[in-house]
Amino acid sequence: MANMKIKAKEKDGIVGVKAMFTSVMADKEEAEKKKIVSEYIAQIIAKNNGVVVFEVTASGFMSENPLFKFSYKGKVGDTLEITTTDNSGKTETGTEKVS
Amino acid sequence: MFKLDLYKLITTSVALVLSSTLLYGGSDTSTLPGKYISKMGAVDGGVIYPRKNGTYAAYRYNEQSTKGVNFGRIPTANELKAWDVDIMPDGTGLPEGEGSVSDGDELYEKQCASCHGEFGAGGHGYPTLTGGNQEKLPNGVIKTLTNQRIEPGMEAPKRTIGTYWPKATTLIWYIRDAMPYAHPKSLTNNDIYAITAYLLAQDNIVIDGKKMDSEYVLNKEKLMKIKMPNENGFYPNIDGPDGVENVRKFFSDRAKNIGAGTRCMKDCKDLSATGKEPTIMKIDNEITDVVPPYTTVRDLPPEVENKLVSKAEKMYNDACKLCHSSDKMGAPVIGDIEAWNKVTQKGFDKVVHNAIDGVGGMPPKGGFENFTNSEVQMIVEFMIDSSKKKH
Repeated sequence: MANMKIKAKEKDGIVGVKAMFTSVMADKEEAEKKKIVSEYIAQIIAKNNGVVVFEVTASGFMSENPLFKFSYKGKVGDTLEITTTDNSGKTETGTEKVS
Repeated sequence: MFKLDLYKLITTSVALVLSSTLLYGGSDTSTLPGKYISKMGAVDGGVIYPRKNGTYAAYRYNEQSTKGVNFGRIPTANELKAWDVDIMPDGTGLPEGEGSVSDGDELYEKQCASCHGEFGAGGHGYPTLTGGNQEKLPNGVIKTLTNQRIEPGMEAPKRTIGTYWPKATTLIWYIRDAMPYAHPKSLTNNDIYAITAYLLAQDNIVIDGKKMDSEYVLNKEKLMKIKMPNENGFYPNIDGPDGVENVRKFFSDRAKNIGAGTRCMKDCKDLSATGKEPTIMKIDNEITDVVPPYTTVRDLPPEVENKLVSKAEKMYNDACKLCHSSDKMGAPVIGDIEAWNKVTQKGFDKVVHNAIDGVGGMPPKGGFENFTNSEVQMIVEFMIDSSKKKH
């Protein structure tokens, strides 16, 4: 179920972002235990107007449906685009206007 | 939730009474003692009832006989109206109002997110409201609800609004009457619709086959159309006048409805091979070497004569017995009536004084300096008592 929830709010020149991604975040060990296919978000990149502002590499250490908070310098009206790549190479993209 | 609610009612009513006496100073007739001032939130909606002697009260004066067993009285129309505030699953009692998902988002962040987590994802010790896989098994049961945490490390069932809550209409009721936890009933009807819309949108609930976007406005009519994923997950049907009969019927056929066989407590035959009866369970490692051994005989253990040892006797045994139990040291022996008669002739206070300060061969306090004077007195009393003629 592809779904990404993003909130981006500007205050005093700083944009606060809260984002939640949908993934079972099961690494190989956990997937074997639960008898499911291993699936986890491997990389998250956030771009503000095309400029990378946040980038992380992740794995099954995070819990299911991970929640992220980060902030950067920006202004109202900017377009925030977050792309996640999972372990099998599948990508998901979500965009949100900074308010 | 109800405690908090009542507390609020009580504190506000106290504040009301205080402020009214301060403001009017008793000159207004409405503040005269015995007059009941109607207020919002009273049990019958603020109606007042006359009592004797021109006074008023929040309750109707009960004129029934107080002798014997009575069955109370029929509630007044106002009382029924004030109590009948629930919102039924079919939408009866839903308030008018509307709210959009984006309004709900703002309200949620202010009022709800501190406990229920961002996006309703939980994680603060309070219920998770959103998320959970709504995938269903072929028989229509939501997959995650079949999880059983029978050993550590297993997945627990995920009960969120999306996977568990059967009717969207009752969300309004719960939010209105119980939330926010610290100050319930503080939200307006529009606020409640907005928060409900936000939560349903976060749970990917569809209305008329469409997902709710951030501009979606929810109202009473649209809410009643929603079919929740777990609507048919609850059984038997306990609603309505047939509820009790439904439950009785459901449990009368245990084998079919809850997969349990016929109950058998002794001489049970193992029919698990037929596939209809469950396997007979036996205790694997029974502990038998216990003391006293297991028994089905109902009797009490033999009574042991309980000999109480007083504190004074204990102290005597520890400190004084060495010399006072025999006459080898020249001390008066406990139980020797004549020897103790001689001692007590000096007077009780003198004896205690001697015991504390020492006399003849006896060191002060018998050599045990950590005894207090009153403890020494207790020991002396015990020794004198033990050396009297027994009647």
